Amino acid sequence: MTEYSVVGKPLPRVDGIAKLTGQAKYTTDLVLPNMVYAKLLRSPHPHAKIVNIDISKAEKLPGVEAVITGKDTWGIRYGFVDTPTYPAEERPLAEDKVRFVGEAVAAVAAVDPDIAEDALDLIEVEYDPLPAVFDPEEAMKDGAPQIHGEITRTTSCAWEDWGVARKSHSYTPVNNVAGRVLISYGDIEKGFAEADHVREDRFWSPATSHMAMEPHTIVANYDPFTGKLDVWLNHMAYELKRYWLHKTLGIPIQKIRVHQTYIGGAFGGKAVIFDFEVLAGFLSRKVGRPVKIELTREEVFSSCRNSIRFDTTVKTGVKKDGTIVAQQVKVIVDAGAYKGSAAVAMFLSHQFSESCYNRRNVRHEGVAVYTNKNFGFAKRGHGAPQNRFAVDSQIDMICEDLGLDPVEVVLKNLRKKGDVLPNGDKLESYGLPKCVRLAADAIDWKQKRGKQRDKNRGVGIGINGMFSGSGYWPFACAAIVRLNHDGTVTLMEGDCEFGQGADTTYSQIAAEEIGLPLEDVNLISGDSELCPMNYSNFLSGGMFVGGGAVWYAAHDLRQRILKVGSELLKVKMEDLDMKNRSVFIKAKPEKSLTFGEILRYNVQKHLGDPLIGVGYKKAVPEIEFYPSLSKGTGRFTDAYGLAAATAEVEVDRETGRVKVLKICIADDCGYEINPASIYGQMVSQAVMGMGDALLEEVIDEGGRVINPNLVDYEIPRAFDVPEIVVLNGCDYEPKGPFGAKEAGECARAAVIPAIANAIYDAVGVRVHRVPITPEKLLNALKAKGGRR
Amino acid sequence: MKDFEYFPAKTVEEACSLISQHREEGKILAGGQSLITLLRQKLISPFYLIDIKGISDLDFIKFDEKKGLRMGALTTHRAIEKSPLIQEKYNVLSEMEKSVASVQTRNWGTIGGNLCSADPIGDPAPSLIALNAKLKIVSSRGERMIPLEEFFTDYFTTILEPDEILTEIQLPPLVARTGVVYMKFSTIEAGIKIVSTSISMILDSDKVTCRDARIVMSAVAPVPFNARKAGELLIGKKINDDLIAEAAQLASEETNPTSDVHASVEFRREIAKVLVRRAIKEAFEKAKKA
Amino acid sequence: MEIAKKILKVKVNGRPYELLIKPKTTLLQLLRNDFGLTGAKQACMDNSCGACTVIVDQMAVKACSVLALQVNGREVTTVEGLASRDGKLHPLQQAFLDHHAFQCGFCTPGKLMSAKAMLDEKPHPNEEEIRRDMEGNLCRCTGYTQYIDAIKAVAQKKEGSK
Repeated sequence: MTEYSVVGKPLPRVDGIAKLTGQAKYTTDLVLPNMVYAKLLRSPHPHAKIVNIDISKAEKLPGVEAVITGKDTWGIRYGFVDTPTYPAEERPLAEDKVRFVGEAVAAVAAVDPDIAEDALDLIEVEYDPLPAVFDPEEAMKDGAPQIHGEITRTTSCAWEDWGVARKSHSYTPVNNVAGRVLISYGDIEKGFAEADHVREDRFWSPATSHMAMEPHTIVANYDPFTGKLDVWLNHMAYELKRYWLHKTLGIPIQKIRVHQTYIGGAFGGKAVIFDFEVLAGFLSRKVGRPVKIELTREEVFSSCRNSIRFDTTVKTGVKKDGTIVAQQVKVIVDAGAYKGSAAVAMFLSHQFSESCYNRRNVRHEGVAVYTNKNFGFAKRGHGAPQNRFAVDSQIDMICEDLGLDPVEVVLKNLRKKGDVLPNGDKLESYGLPKCVRLAADAIDWKQKRGKQRDKNRGVGIGINGMFSGSGYWPFACAAIVRLNHDGTVTLMEGDCEFGQGADTTYSQIAAEEIGLPLEDVNLISGDSELCPMNYSNFLSGGMFVGGGAVWYAAHDLRQRILKVGSELLKVKMEDLDMKNRSVFIKAKPEKSLTFGEILRYNVQKHLGDPLIGVGYKKAVPEIEFYPSLSKGTGRFTDAYGLAAATAEVEVDRETGRVKVLKICIADDCGYEINPASIYGQMVSQAVMGMGDALLEEVIDEGGRVINPNLVDYEIPRAFDVPEIVVLNGCDYEPKGPFGAKEAGECARAAVIPAIANAIYDAVGVRVHRVPITPEKLLNALKAKGGRR
Repeated sequence: MKDFEYFPAKTVEEACSLISQHREEGKILAGGQSLITLLRQKLISPFYLIDIKGISDLDFIKFDEKKGLRMGALTTHRAIEKSPLIQEKYNVLSEMEKSVASVQTRNWGTIGGNLCSADPIGDPAPSLIALNAKLKIVSSRGERMIPLEEFFTDYFTTILEPDEILTEIQLPPLVARTGVVYMKFSTIEAGIKIVSTSISMILDSDKVTCRDARIVMSAVAPVPFNARKAGELLIGKKINDDLIAEAAQLASEETNPTSDVHASVEFRREIAKVLVRRAIKEAFEKAKKA
Repeated sequence: MEIAKKILKVKVNGRPYELLIKPKTTLLQLLRNDFGLTGAKQACMDNSCGACTVIVDQMAVKACSVLALQVNGREVTTVEGLASRDGKLHPLQQAFLDHHAFQCGFCTPGKLMSAKAMLDEKPHPNEEEIRRDMEGNLCRCTGYTQYIDAIKAVAQKKEGSK
């Protein structure tokens, strides 16, 4: 086992001083000279024609710089999905009609936010309400209100821009269908026929909020003289935002700069382009002043992307011993008014699942349906939490039916290291079996499962697999590492720091590879002008792809330094090593040169040739343009992060209140570049998963979100946190930097079924809808009278 | 927030004079822990804000063995929580205050402000009603005393006239063998209260027969209320589990809850029954030891 | 209507100031907009999240729900006033750094001020007391554990160093 100096150590975060002293600037903190503030007017109707908008009174309010409506932004289109078959359909302001409560219909820019808000009250909108539909199964019926007519476009689609020469065409949804997936392999009917036991069960996961602490905010500043747009915004990888700002505003992409800011949490909810972001750029260009748009918490809850609503029916066939021989998953996604990433989530829920069990014969069918509600995007796991809740709950039920132990059945069905998945992904690292055993032992599974029912206590298990980045424009992350005159290095990499620790772990990677202490790495991150290229963090490709690029760049610099060192020390490069700011001969460590000496020599002998390392990494080097998300074919990712979670709960039978006593997470992230960071990610997911399992739901009534605040949407607080044990189940990933792969998204999806299954163990009832609130559980207890 | 004129009052008389001038267009500001939120959310927009937080005369905790407890309306939640006097004599209040919102709110928010905001799920009201609290209300027209039990009339509404100010909360001294409990039910520890209850029980010298019982319910009706029928069921009887269960059932039937995002009517009634049962039992045990 | 501005005299991080402000200014707006002290943050509109926590006369309060004029004559301490002017971290800041007690950092200034107020009043709280007193500070990134550990470390250290 290699002994490292910098990676593998819980070194303090490099963004610590800034954040702990209040100096760290988030977009919400930014004030530019001459800046104005914009607010959005939102539709109170779930479905209505816009008959007329009268902005005359608002425009006259002193302090108002501009008022715009859909007439001004007509035809601008964007979306997470923009393919030849499925054109982008989102727009910054509603045009002829509104499709959900909260859709923006007008925007006001004014000299202060209070005036902007007052101006909103003066805008008169005449709506003609249309029949609305809120249930996906209702929406698919003939005669249901059609939410979208023909979806056309006036510009090239993203794929065409990104190099796929396929003409795009318009698309007319039928029966409000926004997208479908159908992935199958093997022979599902034969599989069921061969099974000894088959069961079919249905589970529901609602929309939940990311509830990142910083509300979504943007500051946009358009310079009319240079045609340049500077933006500071909440994001998870700047390339996507830049591309869409370019596309929607017609500004050349090289003239759009995303500046570095710290970001107050993301969890998936800040990756895509938003209406208010396009509007900020649009307004800045219109008024000739910087524009700031800061959403309120209520707007974040009700009009930003929440997680995707899944209705999952799982049918699984097993042998007597619990071996899965067939699994059929049918998903109905309640997409909301625009497709968001609904179809992608349906695919992902299948693909992530592929890394967990060998199911032999599989059919995964999904339909995403438009409804008149706010629409969704990825939240930490993007389809996996919804899927694991269904699948892992059902495995638990199957074990109950057959008198088998869930941990044994899980272990029996796991994939094996070296397996090649049906789509071609190879599991070169696979720590899941180890994770399952660690998590089971840590919760005292054998001593506790089925043995604490007199105390209304129980234990449960869940698992998950998560990709480590995938292909998405521009398909590569790149980094530059420059050796400075004083022997330190400057690392330029584009990833943003939204709490996940990228600034620190990437610096550690560079430091280790070049033999420097961490403090010698000067970091320039998150700036699209100062950094080469970065796209991957919201695709779980932070460490593997972004960190991988850093490693390659650092490695390139290392080789250049070693080359000079080998000239000076007159040995071969492979006989040298680097540590502690110096290059030394491995066999004779006392023969060494400092970086300073290397630099001086380089000036003397090589006329001062700069020592700069460049590197890049793609998520899947040999990937074809895109895997087919609707058919599940094509390579998807080069490594899977894996996790197993167990939970112990105690139930108050008279009230249905669940107390989580303990959560154990065993995680395979390949290698822990910073163990304290990994620990933080796991604890975070334990608590977030607990929130999903027991507390959180964005509740809507007639399409209107009725709990868009922190009083009515509760998330766990300091006193709710149970004992959390984090275990290292790492299996070295040869294609990752120092063996590292995904860590931040996998475990959450394992925690949810772990808690649901623990509740079943405790009191013998199963709730098929998360969150398992006291009321739902009490009703289930009364209906079934408990087990046995 | 909308703009408003601001007047810091230094005395009660000054405050009364100011509020009688502006009446419905004015609002009294104490700690602002309810009021400022309403202003920020633009649910109310008074033209005049009369700040009474600086009136030190209204910030006190005094106890007299015969007359009982007197608390100025501007006493902060934190002061009540930490007061050695209250911890000794009316410990249920100190315990209750520990769970009011957060430390930050308790540091600045006042007991008077809390009662006047008339939040149907407010923490202090139930136990103060169980303790037979009386309120002193003043205006430039004079002053009056009113039982807290009669103070709340509807959601977020009290009997206060637009020109009246709450200045003092008074509690009678506790007699021997009194047990008082405040219990609430929420999904997570510091979460929104779905049901809460406060029980005050006084036992006879045999430590089994109930001399007096007050069962106060909250979050299950527009206002916190005394479930009289349930309380009267216990009076004069020997306390046992069956009787407690019966009283809890009655209390649950006296509730008038609504459905909201947190719970349905049926669930609130069910939890009320369980909670009251547990709280009576605990009050009984406390009274035996007192 | 034309609202008269009022004079506010307040000490912020040890220095006295006098300024004219609109009555509707909250303490949070005062600190962020008038003083440029952006450590205290706004993350909600219902007095729930605690990201705006600062200290007024040794008491932790949520600045979003305190009118600036109410701190007239009082002393306000923000996260920017924790470290010494020559760059020495406050023990709590050091402990947060050592224990990785933050991730995105948005809630962190509020947490630091809540923790400081708690430890100044009660130097050796146990874990349950720490968790209860930190109820008012929401966090979504950390799951709370590491910063509870950080506060515990400071609480125990104070006990140890006599």
